[in-house]
Amino acid sequence: MIRKSGIGIAALAIGVLTSVIPARADFWSDAGAKYKGVVLHGVTESTPPSNYIKDVLAPEFEKKTGIKVQIETTSWDQMYDKAIKDMEAKTSIYDMVYIEQDIIYAYLGRSFLTDISKSLKDDPSLKAPEFDETHFTTFANYFKNADGDLFGIPMEAFIKVYLYRTDLFNDPKIQEAFKKETGKDLAPAKTHEEYTQIAEFFTKYGKDNGMELWGTTAQAHTGHPASWYEFFESIAPTFGVYNWGIDANNNYAASVENGGQMNSDKAKAAIKYWLHLRDIAPPESAASTWTEVGTTFAAGRVAQGLVYGENAAWIASDAEKSKVVGNVGVALPPTEPDVLKEVEGGKGYLGYYDGGAFGLPVTSKNKEAALLFLQFIGQDSVQPDWAIAAPRITNTATYDDPKVLDMDKKLNGYYTMLKDQGKLFAGAPPFPFHAQVREATAPIFYKILLGEVGPDEGLDQMAAAAEAELKNLGYRK
Amino acid sequence: MRSNTVGWLMLAPTIAILGIFGIIPFIYVLYVAFHQWNPFGASPDMIYNGANNFRRLVFDAEFLTSIAFTMKFAFFAVLSEIALGYLLAQLFMKEFPGRGFFRTIHTLPLIVAPIVVGSVWRLMTTPSIGIIPYLLRNWFGYDLNIGRDATTAFTLTVIMDIWHWTPLVTLTLLAALLALPKEPFEQAQIDGANRRQIFWHVTLPMIRPAILATVFIRLMDALRTVDEVWMLTSGGPGAATRYVGLHIWKIVFPKTDYGYGAAISVIVLYLTLVMCWLLYVALVARRERKRTF
Repeated sequence: MIRKSGIGIAALAIGVLTSVIPARADFWSDAGAKYKGVVLHGVTESTPPSNYIKDVLAPEFEKKTGIKVQIETTSWDQMYDKAIKDMEAKTSIYDMVYIEQDIIYAYLGRSFLTDISKSLKDDPSLKAPEFDETHFTTFANYFKNADGDLFGIPMEAFIKVYLYRTDLFNDPKIQEAFKKETGKDLAPAKTHEEYTQIAEFFTKYGKDNGMELWGTTAQAHTGHPASWYEFFESIAPTFGVYNWGIDANNNYAASVENGGQMNSDKAKAAIKYWLHLRDIAPPESAASTWTEVGTTFAAGRVAQGLVYGENAAWIASDAEKSKVVGNVGVALPPTEPDVLKEVEGGKGYLGYYDGGAFGLPVTSKNKEAALLFLQFIGQDSVQPDWAIAAPRITNTATYDDPKVLDMDKKLNGYYTMLKDQGKLFAGAPPFPFHAQVREATAPIFYKILLGEVGPDEGLDQMAAAAEAELKNLGYRK
Repeated sequence: MRSNTVGWLMLAPTIAILGIFGIIPFIYVLYVAFHQWNPFGASPDMIYNGANNFRRLVFDAEFLTSIAFTMKFAFFAVLSEIALGYLLAQLFMKEFPGRGFFRTIHTLPLIVAPIVVGSVWRLMTTPSIGIIPYLLRNWFGYDLNIGRDATTAFTLTVIMDIWHWTPLVTLTLLAALLALPKEPFEQAQIDGANRRQIFWHVTLPMIRPAILATVFIRLMDALRTVDEVWMLTSGGPGAATRYVGLHIWKIVFPKTDYGYGAAISVIVLYLTLVMCWLLYVALVARRERKRTF
């Protein structure tokens, strides 16, 4: 009887204790409890990785912490416009802003961003156990200051790759026709000469056979900066012209006369090569920006092209959007024969490593809650599904996930290329004056595209305009 | 005295709103216009530079070109909208089956946001997928490509503006026509006037204020158009559709040249006022003076 009542008392005691002591929750619900009801506002570009944050990660975070996250996805221009206005005017609308890899230098120059590493060191209670800065790929270096402190959580990173249609390249009839026409075997191009030959062949093949098929994409809009970027980020480097041809160590020289490369012979050869490709590309190329080159490829209108990696996954796997599912090959962009060696030797780069991070403006009124969200999207566990939904990898833990390995097969080794050869690509140069120099030179660039100015003369004018703008901005002395 | 106080009290909220959102920002823009200010330059401070920004824009070929293109755009767009809007208003005055339905359909473009209008027109004009290039190629063998042809791009921006804003003109003129008294028309008919004479001597003078108000509204809108054109052409090909609103946007945001952008904004505001004043003098004041004499 005594024993029975002892058990009863013990059970009662346990019951009382469990009702008094709060249940041990995970880090997110504990850390989030303090900020329950806070609404975080973020602004970003409407890209597949950003849409994943908006549709998947933000609701998950809200469920775990009680902190609501509203992500505004908008156009590339609007995204900058809104973020800069907010930080400049200190209106404190946004708690998270998308920082594209090229704008970070301007933002750091204006002290717009919160030092994430330092903030987490200063308040260890906010540090999530699963979040580890050392797990980020080297792409995170673009978002660090000289002390190695992180100012943005990398959330998208991809390279601009050479995509080609495996069904066309492997078609024996086409292979035979190509051999007959050029005397060569049809294979993904390694040099500009080979690429041009393949492009010319397929454009002619499409025309001769009454097909809506062309030899190459061209991101050649005649009024939008996308074309300027295609030339300076993707074409010029493959000819050995790096950092837009501007030498920051030589008083920001752009012209050959002053030691720059913007109007060098290599740059002039590059633009002629690209203009020729533009002329044999589909007609929409003259109005194509970064999105449309992907759409053109997915519509099966081209045999090959340079396409931003963020689009590679849906092009290769989403049958609702793409007509070339299962027929997409991936390769390194073609280069001049000596450039690949130069790049492998550590000088320059052969393509664009694009991407961005989520930064925390110093003007945010909800810094602590925002820091939690930024860690949430940076932790290992959320990366694989995100990488599948949008082919971006910012965390080294992602590469070995079985789902990612499976997707890698569908993409013919895109992730493997990112892992093994990502080092051959580079982000935009560390200039704080990206938009300013681009806008100063772009009108002349559009004139070149329209044939109103010759390519040689146009590049000379652009180099002079770049130097004038840099002088005006106070960089060039 | 009492009625004056009540009147001022009633006006006070409007005056306050106008002051906060209109006059104070304008004074600030004017202040910035006299400074060199590029927050993303090596020196982000605002430096007073007198009238240099205004001097600079006199020799700025890009600005002058954008002004010229904007004038051309405003002229063709507004003129076409007034003419087409009047014809449609006259049509909707008549009784015909489905008139209500057509009136509703006709006003639908007005409720579409400019950015959406630009996107839809871009889709319709893209060579690979657009219905317009498709039909033009099949019917007339004409390859429409706004990325390569400046004239086509300009024409399309005008057509897009006409499509979007003609309903506004129609509605305004329809209201004006419906409000007209019948007697002057009956009198003119008794006097033996034909339709052309009735239009010139009776209808037009009576709806002149409505036309004038519509022209002012549309002119001001056309001079500051940005979003639709940005979506359709991004200002291209080259600078063919880089209208002044778009030019200011590029100077202020991507180029972050705030001082110069402010100076251009002030000049564009001044030009708009001058143009409206000239129109007013030409169409109203001169006529009023004639009447007085």
